Amino acid sequence: MVKGKSLRIGAGIFVTIVILLIGLMSSFDVTALSKAPDDPQQIMFRPDIITFDNMEAFGKLEKTKAIFLHDQHTDALEKKDKDCMVCHKTENGRMSQKFMRLKDISREELTKIYCDNCTKCHNEMIAAGEKAGPVKCDECHMERPFIQSSRVPMGFDKSLHFRHYRAQENKCGRCHHEYDEKGKKLFYAEGKEGTCRYCHKEKPQSDDTAKVISMRFASHLACVDCHQQTLAKHMDAGPLRCAGCHDAQEQLKIEKVKDVPRLKRGQPDNVIIKTGDPKGRIARMDQVPFDHESHEEYNDTCRVCHLASLESCANCHPLAGSNKATKNGTGISLETAFHKHGHPSSCTGCHESKQEDKNCAGCHTFMDKNRQKESATCLRCHMVPLPERTGELSTSNAARIARLMPQLWKETFGPIYKVDVPKTVVISDLVDKYEAAEYPHGKVFDAMVTKLEGSKLAQYFHYEDTTLCLGCHHNTPAAGKPPRCANCHDKPFNENYLFRPGIMASFHQQCIGCHQKMGVEKYIGCTSCHKERKKDS
Amino acid sequence: MSISRRKFLGWVGAAGLSTTIGKSAAAATNKQFAGYPKSFAILHDVTLCVGCRSCEAACNTVNELPQPEKPFTDLSVLETKRRTTTTAFTVVNKYENPKGDQRPVFYKKQCNHCLEPACASACFVRAFTKTLTGAVTYDSSVCVGCRYCMVACPFEIPTYEYDQALTPRIRKCTMCHPRVVEGLLPGCVKACPMEALSFGKREDMIKIARERFRKYPDRYVDHIYGEYEMGGTSWLYISGTPFKELEMREDLGITPAPQLTAGALSSVPIIVGLWPALLAGIYAVSKRKEKIAQSEKEQALASAKERPDESEIEEES
Repeated sequence: MVKGKSLRIGAGIFVTIVILLIGLMSSFDVTALSKAPDDPQQIMFRPDIITFDNMEAFGKLEKTKAIFLHDQHTDALEKKDKDCMVCHKTENGRMSQKFMRLKDISREELTKIYCDNCTKCHNEMIAAGEKAGPVKCDECHMERPFIQSSRVPMGFDKSLHFRHYRAQENKCGRCHHEYDEKGKKLFYAEGKEGTCRYCHKEKPQSDDTAKVISMRFASHLACVDCHQQTLAKHMDAGPLRCAGCHDAQEQLKIEKVKDVPRLKRGQPDNVIIKTGDPKGRIARMDQVPFDHESHEEYNDTCRVCHLASLESCANCHPLAGSNKATKNGTGISLETAFHKHGHPSSCTGCHESKQEDKNCAGCHTFMDKNRQKESATCLRCHMVPLPERTGELSTSNAARIARLMPQLWKETFGPIYKVDVPKTVVISDLVDKYEAAEYPHGKVFDAMVTKLEGSKLAQYFHYEDTTLCLGCHHNTPAAGKPPRCANCHDKPFNENYLFRPGIMASFHQQCIGCHQKMGVEKYIGCTSCHKERKKDS
Repeated sequence: MSISRRKFLGWVGAAGLSTTIGKSAAAATNKQFAGYPKSFAILHDVTLCVGCRSCEAACNTVNELPQPEKPFTDLSVLETKRRTTTTAFTVVNKYENPKGDQRPVFYKKQCNHCLEPACASACFVRAFTKTLTGAVTYDSSVCVGCRYCMVACPFEIPTYEYDQALTPRIRKCTMCHPRVVEGLLPGCVKACPMEALSFGKREDMIKIARERFRKYPDRYVDHIYGEYEMGGTSWLYISGTPFKELEMREDLGITPAPQLTAGALSSVPIIVGLWPALLAGIYAVSKRKEKIAQSEKEQALASAKERPDESEIEEES
């Protein structure tokens, strides 16, 4: 028992000391305890981050990827009057993009090249009393890097392509090439030029293309090398620094040519898109005349539509969907290729995306995105009869028909929106808290016509005078005198018509929804449409 | 008294075992409740709400609440985030649109009327009732003012009249239960000019929500908030903005609140009833064993004193 007692006394003394100590500490160092933890370091965004991804080829990484700021190094070397050769070796007159080597051999060697060379240079600078980069492992291989990439992808638009075309004195072969399997060299094939990305993919797609260098590698090899050589001749050239191409702000500074002349590569002005495949099989739809020249104007690159090659669509897309991958790795049918919703390369997908334009969204926002279009809509494009119905005539004169088409459309279908519409409509069904709304029906119609006439695409698809009316007067035939709104929209939450809004909501959803989408901010508050009703009236 | 290690572990084991008996009995009473058939629900389509506060005004009138300082037509109120109070059963809050669209998003907040309400489960006087219409109603006549419901509610909705010294009540949205039983629409639903609030059978509201997802896939986040949250609620939400951005809790899970506590609570009677008897029994048995051992020891000692040689022989063997 004596032992137990002394233990208790001991514990008591210990607790007292601890409490006293805490008390003392807190009284001396109140500020230290109440101080907020250091702010997390601000994350910096730079476009010139390079991570050494080629290490991944040798299996799982031992450390986090090192972060290398390329522009910072370029600038530092420039200040010291040194050039790229400090870090890059040259082979056959071309600078290797790899650091201090020409090839990746082994993991050990790579690690040695990076760690030794980086720290060597940094150490030398530190020894000379200069500010230098990291020399310790975890300063490069950061667990939680506070610098993140803001790199944006770069590509040629029509303007930039034209500027290069002009600078290269119209010699396409200086950039465009094909690969000669036998001679194992590059050659220029006139009239076969295509987008770099057709061959130079992000990663090799199959064994056949495994030797084709990646787009990233190819573009830096070609672009940077050429810019460097041109600058060496004291001529104007494109950027050398990463930011010059890959910084969002810098990209905006790239000069734009306003009227880019049409690219010449033997493409047709007008084509008749056949609804068949090269083997002569046909889908039983009429053919589609297509104004190729106009569509070149609307788009910035060829690859918006020609995803994998500058050939006819049917060369890659089979007439019937197939499980087998076709030449360019797709089994996507011709029909899907032309009509897929939401895809920027399909006709329907691209046309639909135009409906999001402020001028169009007012009506189109209410329309079911995946609805089955009326069959009459099909005939808006499928309008050239098949040869089996018209005989030789149409096949032999396909080009002529295609050429005539735009004129034909205009004359046959060019709509004149002269519908006799009421000037004002007084909406008085709902008078309660507010007075009746006077709806300037005629004014709204005229505004819609004006917007419509500004767009060739819109005019083409609003082909009847009354198509325009369907934006509001939906689910009724496009006719001069549609039923009244309240004929269908009555009291809300009718179980038999679950998806049909009540009369009050149908007006508000339609009017406010359209105003919101079209940016007509003026008429969104309650009293801008209907005055408040005086209680005594 | 000293307890041996073995005895102590034995007791603990027995006590533990008795709780498991209780649990299996409780599990039989906890079947999944998917709401009363044909009960009503309200679907709030956040994409349609224009932030006009008509619902707030209607709620105020219908429930005969005091007029607020600023009138309901004053939209500057939306600039601050609000929560429900004893005099405002519903509030509309404004949120920035994270899509970069200039137009802000409005979200109406009120009691969600859970299918299995946490407030009702926490209330020990049964002041809350999940009615057949879907509304969770409150009876102030039995309320003792413990405010457990406020602690229990995962949406932090019930409010308490702290300023009423003698008759404080819990205040929250009633889903206009008195109006609904009369065949009228809830005040807020009737007032909404945009039909951002739809009223009808819960299964129909879910159908409407799904139809809107199908029709306008780009416009919505493909999730009906309240369909399963906390076991499901009678107030459902669809939105184009992630619910997290509207400060709606996404950590609630799909288990109704009562189910989280029912198991543990159901074992209380078993423990209270069984443990004293069990432990007393074990104690008595061990006491008796000790007593017998003691008397045996005494006997042995007595006999050993009489015949000392025998013990020596035993030791040798």
